[in-house]
Amino acid sequence: MPHKLIYLVSFALLVCGCSQDKKLPYLGKHETRVVDGKTDTLYHQVPPFKFLNQDSVWVSEKDMAGKIYIADFFFTTCPTICPKMKTQLVRLYERYADNDQIRILSHTIDPEFDRPHVLKQYANRLQVQAPRWNMVTGDKQAIYTLGEKSYMVTAQEDKNEVGGFVHSGAFILVDKQRHIRGIYDGTKEEEVNHLIEDLEILLKTN
Amino acid sequence: MKSFLLAALALSLFACQTKEEILHDQYVIEGRIQYENNCANCHQSNGEGLRNLYPAISKSTLSAPELARLIKQGRKSATGYMPANPKLQAIDIAEIITFMRHEWGKNEQTFTFDSTRIVLKGIN
Repeated sequence: MPHKLIYLVSFALLVCGCSQDKKLPYLGKHETRVVDGKTDTLYHQVPPFKFLNQDSVWVSEKDMAGKIYIADFFFTTCPTICPKMKTQLVRLYERYADNDQIRILSHTIDPEFDRPHVLKQYANRLQVQAPRWNMVTGDKQAIYTLGEKSYMVTAQEDKNEVGGFVHSGAFILVDKQRHIRGIYDGTKEEEVNHLIEDLEILLKTN
Repeated sequence: MKSFLLAALALSLFACQTKEEILHDQYVIEGRIQYENNCANCHQSNGEGLRNLYPAISKSTLSAPELARLIKQGRKSATGYMPANPKLQAIDIAEIITFMRHEWGKNEQTFTFDSTRIVLKGIN
């Protein structure tokens, strides 16, 4: 029965087609340079940084070496979107509890209030710990610049906003070479499901 | 028999609600919307909160007047922080509390606009 065979073949094709590896993009500005006559593409990379975490320990890009991490911007007294983001981050934290390749890096955008001891209290209440989840504070301008220039998200003081700051609810997926591979709305469960899908791809390939 | 059943069904559908019951239902419906918009972010839609960060509002033991003041003024203490809600008016807060009672307190008593107004007197 040849038509049965056709069905079988097309089904096989379909399965193969679907399982083709999805590749994650490299977000941000690319630069090219010519080395020994070959063109080399330099992807946007999160620059070196150094902040204090909830245990008053310095956290820098070196701590993220060989780790895939999810970055976000928040403040502990935020009444609007942070609670939703934290609900989702707790979900990620739980999901990858046994995976040492994954880190969460939450930057406060209210460093004057969110000193390490405030972050410590916050982390304790959420029942989460460094180094798997670092909550960091530091120089305000350094945090804002890093957010806008490197992670490509909004983070600013704004007295007119509820809570006094304007920031996006983005989760930024960063690979082991500190390239940005995805930006997701951290306030929405479905968007965070996409992040998980992409994170799984990174785990296999990065 | 069939017509009897039908009649019973019709009666149960159109059973007259008292004015108070209708008002109570309105409070609960409005309160649910207000709760979603103003409280659920932290305390979650199911009222269970998030770990020790946002308390489980569904297990709150605060009285209605205490709740009304807390919602309006917020709280900043060594053990926690809840933002004030200056934009919520007495009627909104009355609806939220009535909704909470209905949803988690097994209490179908309306916490009225008037009661809330008295409790919030002098608080802006």
